[in-house]
Parts: sequence; structure tokens; C-alpha cells
Amino acid sequence: MPKLTVDGIEVEVEAGATVLQACEEAGKEIPRFCYHERLSIAGNCRMCLVEMERAPKPVASCAMPAADGMVIKTDSDLVKKARNGVMEFLLINHPLDCPICDQGGECDLQDQAMAYGFDASRYAEKKRAVKDKELGPIVKTIMTRCIHCTRCVRFSEEVAGVGTMGAVYRGEDTEVGPYIEASINSEMSGNLVDLCPVGALTSKPYAFTARPWELKKTDSVDVMDAVGSNIRVDARGSEVLRVLPRLNEDINEEWISDKTRYAIDGLKRQRLDRPYVRVNGKLAPASWDEAFAAIKEKVSGLDGKKIAAIAGDTVDCESMTALKDLMGKLGSANIDCRQDGAKIGGPRSSYIFNTTIAGIEEADACLVVGANVRAEAPIINSRLRKRWRMTAGDFRLGVIGENWDPTFKHDYLGAGPETLSDILEGKNDFAKVLESAAKPMIIVGMGALNREDGEAVLATAREIADKYGLVSGEWNGFNVLHTAAARVGGLDLGFVPGEGGLATNDILDGAAKGDVEVVYLLGADELDMAKLKNAFVIYQGCLGDAGAQVADVILPGAAYTEKNGTYVNTEGRVQYGWRAVFPVGDAREDWKIIRALSAGLGLTLPYDNIDSVRARMVEINDVFGSINVTRKAAWAEFGKAGVMKSEGFASPVRNFYMTDPISRASVTMAKCTEAFVKDAAAGKVA
Amino acid sequence: MELLWDGYIQPGIWIVAKILAIVLPLLIAVAYLTYAERKVIGAMQMRKGPNVVGPFGLLQPLADGLKLFLKETVIPTSANKVVFLIAPMLTFILALVAWAVIPFGEGLVISNLNVGILYLFAISSLGVYGIVMAGWSSNSKYAFLGALRSAAQMVSYEISIGLIIISVLLTTGSLNLSDIVLAQSGGIWNWNFIYHLPMFVIFIVSILAETNRAPFDLPEAEAELVSGYNVDYSAMTFALFFLGEYANMILMSGLCATLFLGGWQAPLPFLDFIPGPLWFIFKICMVLFIFLWVRATFPRYRYDQLMRLGWKVFLPLSFAWVMLVATFLVVFDKVPA
Amino acid sequence: MSFIDRTARSFLLVELLSGLALTFKYMFKPKVTLNYPYEKGPLSPRFRGEHALRRYPNGEERCIACKLCEAICPAQAITIEVEPRLDGSRRTTRYDIDMTKCIYCGFCEEACPVDAIVEGPNFEFATENREELLYDKDKLLENGERWEAELAARLEADAPYR
Repeated sequence: MPKLTVDGIEVEVEAGATVLQACEEAGKEIPRFCYHERLSIAGNCRMCLVEMERAPKPVASCAMPAADGMVIKTDSDLVKKARNGVMEFLLINHPLDCPICDQGGECDLQDQAMAYGFDASRYAEKKRAVKDKELGPIVKTIMTRCIHCTRCVRFSEEVAGVGTMGAVYRGEDTEVGPYIEASINSEMSGNLVDLCPVGALTSKPYAFTARPWELKKTDSVDVMDAVGSNIRVDARGSEVLRVLPRLNEDINEEWISDKTRYAIDGLKRQRLDRPYVRVNGKLAPASWDEAFAAIKEKVSGLDGKKIAAIAGDTVDCESMTALKDLMGKLGSANIDCRQDGAKIGGPRSSYIFNTTIAGIEEADACLVVGANVRAEAPIINSRLRKRWRMTAGDFRLGVIGENWDPTFKHDYLGAGPETLSDILEGKNDFAKVLESAAKPMIIVGMGALNREDGEAVLATAREIADKYGLVSGEWNGFNVLHTAAARVGGLDLGFVPGEGGLATNDILDGAAKGDVEVVYLLGADELDMAKLKNAFVIYQGCLGDAGAQVADVILPGAAYTEKNGTYVNTEGRVQYGWRAVFPVGDAREDWKIIRALSAGLGLTLPYDNIDSVRARMVEINDVFGSINVTRKAAWAEFGKAGVMKSEGFASPVRNFYMTDPISRASVTMAKCTEAFVKDAAAGKVA
Repeated sequence: MELLWDGYIQPGIWIVAKILAIVLPLLIAVAYLTYAERKVIGAMQMRKGPNVVGPFGLLQPLADGLKLFLKETVIPTSANKVVFLIAPMLTFILALVAWAVIPFGEGLVISNLNVGILYLFAISSLGVYGIVMAGWSSNSKYAFLGALRSAAQMVSYEISIGLIIISVLLTTGSLNLSDIVLAQSGGIWNWNFIYHLPMFVIFIVSILAETNRAPFDLPEAEAELVSGYNVDYSAMTFALFFLGEYANMILMSGLCATLFLGGWQAPLPFLDFIPGPLWFIFKICMVLFIFLWVRATFPRYRYDQLMRLGWKVFLPLSFAWVMLVATFLVVFDKVPA
Repeated sequence: MSFIDRTARSFLLVELLSGLALTFKYMFKPKVTLNYPYEKGPLSPRFRGEHALRRYPNGEERCIACKLCEAICPAQAITIEVEPRLDGSRRTTRYDIDMTKCIYCGFCEEACPVDAIVEGPNFEFATENREELLYDKDKLLENGERWEAELAARLEADAPYR
């Protein structure tokens, strides 16, 4: 624990910390471009120069390890002069095009030039110009603006795991870019835009759209996958313009996936902005009252057993609570939040990511069963990669199912249940890895659980956990990786078939046979809609996707950026998202629609504001009382031993960029699919 | 039949003709007083004043009148509509009926009342009613405050005006305005302003206050009260106030000329060949010029200063003067018969 | 003595009379009124009149949609929307000035890095209805074309002092 003095303030920092961190500890701001907490140290921008006693010249604080007895000055004349000089050098080749630069207003170089720079340039010679690079549909490059901090190079190398970026040539001729003309095939490439301290890498879909000072910033939670990444939604007027990551060390650190970041443009098209009622086989615009009347006409007097409800993947917990209570009042137990038919829903420890995402950083070995983590939850994949880098490659990842690329060295064990049984029986080499690991973990994906033999797979996974000590003491290495943001919340709320109730597949079959007459789809679009042709379908959601096609009544709901909602991520962490803009047209917040419908049916639900809905949620399950934290779930018996089929596990996510109605409607996601998924099929990108 | 003609119709026509002979020129005079005001003040501020409508802008008052005539009359929803509409009419009518006793020349008066000065004084005192009604019925705090100020101001200065008139009456011995004028015959050295010079000055200042003119235009102090009691008036209702105010100015100038400046009489006997009414009009114009001149020169008084001046300076001074004149007349036995 | 002097002056209204004499004297001084609109006073090169969007001599519009004028505008009279043009350059799709909101402070032209938005010498742009005062990009560019010669001359005249 070295002790050092910064501007007369004595600070003690952890061993291995840098002088820059020590200065921050002392409350001193050190300007920097290349240094980034989550990337390796490069020390090439020289902006962080500080004066150190007994050193002949200023030292780069980001690259200098803190040592005992150092005396650092951060605001001496020498430091000021050094910063001035560095800034002047940086600005020599930086174009003065701030007015047309998208980074303008949130640019590190702009801010630091104002704070630490010189007021005029003495450079009268020609400036350099660099050819722009093509980085795909997400990142726009204006490489003349590049100051060679190499943050992007280090990010793609270290975090994204695609070593396509680099700096070529030397001195003034240095150019940063991909070595070969190829797009960055990473689900995390949007983070390059955030990382770039200047306007060299900017967001292509957001190009020239708005200035940062025009935007209203709202904290929210992502629903594109089950990770629950913390995001900030930037809106101007009634339009959501961009999504940025919000720092949360426990979940997404400061990264978000490209789908999280760019799928929001899907909210601008195919929106359901008013109620519709099917008249003579055609959907006709209607008023709320007419829509409710049509539902009432159909539902009143109907046996509760003939009514069913299915909740979709991106709905909030409030609306599921309201719908669950409404179905209860209608006398129906046919509710399900697992539209893929996954066989989960027992004790809480059987369906959450018990290790927690941050807990991955303690694991030594990981067995992934039936999940394409990189496509289903890129943020979790980057944690796995981070762990792999932390252990210098000692972290072992075993994969059963499809042979996907986790961007680092892994062991492909096999395609299906047979391999899983082998591990349980110790016949596979990876069993020894799990056995010898201090903190082993297993990740069971939806690809393994949404099969008919899902319960048997779950039981096998549980046996492996028990046998190899995955659950011991404080450590719980048993994890289920969800793909739907609403799933854990739905399970926590008990949005599953009640006594004698039908599950998703039974509801669909019942509807096809005519046993179920009314099906309420709460944002559920990933179903076999052909089976619902005969039923009276009420669709409540924000986009005209598959569900709206077969609907008899459409109730326009709010998208996740348009409502205050509660979401539970795959770890079982309850988080609130806040409304950034108002719903379009006549659309309303979803729980309010259900509340209004309940009044229309004469079955008024007992809550009038969101606080009382949330109180009801706590009443159902008290995990909703503790926000932003994970609770340890008690290890319990679950799963049902049985015969597992031999066919291999297949991840439900075939195309990372299009998994739900919003991303399917997104232009940017379509471009990414075009660029990456089809390219990948043709073998054009690495 | 003849009785009807001689007894009623002919005198009726005659009276109407006489009234029109005064009212029409008076209205035209009001119109051109506004023109003169803008021209004079413009000149004193090195501006040209109205000069676009007609030659030298002479048609400007007509254009203004037409504009006011054609504008929409806005009646505030919260106003007391009847009183709101009666108030400007009252002000205007009172400003006109007072002219009945003003002599324009020897025998040139509609009603040669032997208590003419009392009549005049009574009518001009009634003027405050129009203003109070306007301020109250507008149901607006600005109008109300303006009306209060206006009423207080007019009442205060009427007292000193009354005392000044008394001192004039003491030396004249008649309440008939023609007699007052005739008592000043014989040339400028017989005019009352020579004998009552301090009272003449106080009278001029008091009629400025009485007509709410600068520097005593506090009721409409635009900086504080927007426009005073008439803030909610527009178009014709506003025009009536406007006409009434300016007719009052002319009336007060006429009173001033009658009381102090020898009425229709020439200042020097050899100028008698010029008809009396022309002299009278000339004198009114002179006093009106003072009105405008003062407006161009002096800034507005503060309200407390205005009241102090009225009650603490003018009232004692004019009262002392009444005493002085009365004492003088008794001691030297010069009380007029 | 001074008391008597002061009192005498006060009672004789010396100050008031001297004031009246002054205004009377001014009545005969030459008038300074200009016979607008036939005569007009001189305008400073910095005069802030009607807005115009300028073009480069080659016809390319100057405005690069940096939104600095929109940000600085204290009356929030400017509304700008941007999209990449077909050639990829940054241009406005919408540039509106609400002339009824504008307070003619000139901050927009101060903020403009490319001298695109300027306040010209024209102050005679009264209209018969409000809508005509909601200027759009076409109107502003048209102003720019109409006044370009004067605008350029004024900018040049003022350049040494900026």
C-alpha cells in the first residue's frame, strides 16, 4: 500500500495503482485521452503529464506506478506548460471542424482544450488528412480527427475480442483503422463510439441528428435481452434519438450491446398508435371504448377456462401483475409468461443466474449448455472474456450445443444431451476441470430448456451442479441464462399456469381445437400464430408484429422507453426504468390499459397508480421490494429426471440483431443483419 | 298657429342654432387643439409633429377621429356595462353644457345667467363623476386607482379655484360672467390679472391640475397606471373622454380669459375695431398655449407633492388673498355696489 | 441673505420660468425629423435587422447545421433539423426563425462559425399577418440572395473590429 503526496495531500493507494489513480484519489482531475479504466494502459497521448519530485521531466501519470514516498504536483507551472504543449501538439493535426462534428458538445478534446489548452495555434503549415475507413453500418469514421489514443484498438482487442483494429505507419503518418477493409463484426462495436474521445468514430445511425444539449436524458433499463443493461435514453421532443450505457459495475460495466443501443429506431415505424377492432375480417380503427366493448361482448359470460393469456418477452412487471389479477377475476388459470415453452418455473434458484454477472469474475471454469452466450447476452459473454483475460487464459469454458465463438479459447464438448450425461458420469475430460475448479459454474440456456425434455435437462444440470460442487457455501455456480427481459419477472410474479391451467403450448393447441376461445397476448409475438386463427385474440403491444396480424382487438401499449416499468434481469435483479417520452398517439402505459379494461368489464382492479401496483407486486413476491440488488436464492430440489432426447441443443437466437418486434422493425438492425449475419454466412468476415 | 311658431318653434330653432354655433366650432377646436399640441410639443423637442396627412398634416385630427370612430368598442366582460357606457357620455356632456354661460362678446352668450360663475363651478365639479364612474365600472385596478387619484386631485384644486374666484368676485361685485368682463373694460391695465397677479398664477396652475394636464397628469401616469381611469376604454367611448378632456381645457382657458384677461375686450382701446369674439378666441389660444408649453417643459409631479402643493400652499395662499382683498375693499370703502 | 434670495426665487418661480424660456427657445431651432420613408438615417454595419442565410460564391449554402445559433438564441426563436445530405455533408433540412419571437440580439450571427446566418440591414419587413413572420429556410436563403452584396460589404467593413 504505497503512500504518496499529491499537491500536499497524502493519499494511500492499492499496490499496483498508477499515479493517475492516486491523483484521482486525492481529488485532483487529470486530463487524459488514451487512459481508460477498463482498458490496458497505453501512455501515448501524454495529456496526463504531472510533475514528480526528483524526476528530470514531467511523467505520464497513467503509466507510472505509484510508489511509496512520491511527491506529485498536478497544478504547478511546469504541469500547466506541459499540458499546454501537449494540447497544442494534439491540435496541430486535428481539424477545426467542431461545428460539423457529431462529437461537438460532448467531446473530450473540446472540453480539455478549453480547460487546459492554449488560446491560439502557432501552426501555420499544412494539416494532414486521412482517408476514412469503412467500419460497417454502426460506426462512422472521420479519421482526420483521430488523435491516435488507440482506445478503439485496445477495446476491440481486449473487450470485444475481435482483433481487427490497429494502428499502421509511424509518426505523423499513423493511421488507426482495421488492418483489412472489413467491418467490425462485434456485438459490442457501438461502444467504440463512446470510447473515442474525439469525433473520429461516431455513430452512423445517429449522424447529424442532434446536439447533446438538446437531449433530455432519462435513466432506464434495456429490454432487448435478459441482462437488464442500465441505459440512458436520450430524447428530444417526442422522439427517442439514442441510447447510451449507464455505469453499473454489477451488470454491464459501461458497455452495452449494439442491439440495445441501436434497435430504438424500430420504435419509429409500424407503431400501434390507436385501438383497432376486427370488423368483417378487417382491422378497423376504433376508440378505446369501442375496443373495450368488443372485448366485453366476447368475454362476458364466458367460462374462465376458455380464456387464456400469454405475456411476451419485453413486457414490464406492472402490466403482468395487472393481467394476472384480471385473469384471476375472470376465473382463468391459463396464464403463461414462457412463450417459448421453456420448462422452468420451480424454486427461484432454478431459474435465475445465481452466480450473478459480476460473480463470473471469480469463477475458474464454466460449462455452457445450450446457450449461445455471445448472441443471447453479449454483455455476459464480455464478462466471461474479461475473466478469461484476468486469469491469463486459465479460465476454462466448455460448450455444449452449437459451437459458437465466444471470442476466446474454449473447449467444444459436444452438441447435445449425450455430452451432458457424459459429464455427469465423469466420462468427459471437462468433468475433471469442473471437479478441480474452486469456483466452477454452469450456464444453462434456453436452447436446452425450451425442449420437451427441458425438465430432464434441467435435472441433469442440477445433478452436475451437486456432483461437482458448483453449489457450496456462498458460491452458487448454477445459472440459467434467459433471453427475454420479462421472463424472470413473470416467473417471480407467478405468471405461470395456475391449478389446472394451461401452459403456452396447451393454450395454442386448445385455441386451434376451439377449447380456448379468447387469447390475450400481452406483447407476445414469438408464437405459432397459425394456431390462433380460430380464437378471439386480444393483442396488447406497441408494434404491429406477428401478434397484431391475427388480433381481433388491438390495444396500443407503450414501448419500454415510454413507461415507468419494473424489469427483473436474468440474475433476479429488480430494476426500474423511467419514461423518456410519452407513448405515441392514443397508446397508453400497459398496466393502465389493463386497469381500464378491468373497469370496462366490471371487474375493476384495486389499484389506481403505479405505486399501488408496485405494492401489489411486493405482496405477490417480496423480491420486488428490494431494487437494484440481487438476492441469494436458496438451493432446492428442482427438475424432473427423465429421458433426454438425442438431438443437439439449438440456441433460440438465430440472428442476434433481430430477436423481438422492436429490433425486427429497426432499420439499423436490418442493416447489421445484412452486413454481418449474411456476411458471416458467406464467410467474408472474421 | 302663429303662437306656436313665434312662441315655440322659432325660439327652439334659434336655441338649437345657437347651441350648434358653439358646439360645432368647439368640437373642431378640440380636434385642432390636439393637432396644435403635437405641433407645439414637437417644435419644442425639435421635431416636426404631424406633417403627412394633408398639407402640414392639417387633416391629421380628422384621420385620428375617423380611426377612433371606426374602431371596435371593447367592453370588458367584468365591467358594469351601463355605468361603463354612461361615464364617457357624462364627461363629454358636462364639458359642453358649461359653455352656456361663457360670453363670447357683448350679449353673445346663450344664457346670460346672473349666477353664471356658480353654474360654471357646479358643472365643472360634476366632471369628477364621469371619471369616478369610469374608473369604478371598468372593474380594473389600474382604472380604479387612476379614478381615485383623479377625483382626489380635482376636488383638492377646486377649493383653491373657488377661493380665487371669490377674490375676483369681491372686486367685481357680480356673479354674472358678462358683468365680470365689463368690470374689466378700459384696457389691459384694468384687467384682473394685474390686480390679482399671484392668484392668476395660482389659477393657471390649478386649472392644469383640474384638467389633469401635465405636470399634474397623475391619473394617467402611464408609467404606473398604464392610462389611468380610461385604460379599458376604446374607440368612441375613449374618443368621448378625449373630447371631454380637451373641451374642458378650452373651457378652463375661457374661464381664465373671462376672469382675468378681460374676456372679449381689446387690451388697448384703439384696438376696439377688432370684434370682441376674436379677442376672446385669441386669449383662449394664449392660455391653451401655456397648457402645451408647460407640458413640454415640466416633468410629472409626484402624487404627494401634488397634494402638498394643493392643500399646503395654494389653499392658504388663496385664502390669505381673499382676506387681503376683502380687508382692502372694506378699509378703503371700495366694495362694489 | 441666501435664504431671502432663495425664497424670493422660489416665489417668483424663477426656475420654472427659466425652464419655460428654454423650451420656448427650442421651438425655433431647426427640426431634426427625417422625412421617412423618403429620407433615411445612416445604418451602422453592425445594424441588426432582418435575418438572411448566405451562400458561398459557388452557390453552396454556408450553413452546416452546427446548431450553435439555435443553442445561443435567448428567445429560442430558431429551430433546426439536420440530416446527412445525399453527398454525406451535414446540412439542415429545416431552418426556421420565428421572427415574432426574435429579439434581434445578434447572438446567432456572433455564434455562426461560417457567417451563414446574418442579420442584414433590412428593417422594413412588416407583414400583414403573423404567419408571414415565421421564416423558413427558403425565405432566409432568398433573403441571403437578395441582400448578399450589402451583407458581404457590411461584414467586410466590420471585420477589423471583430
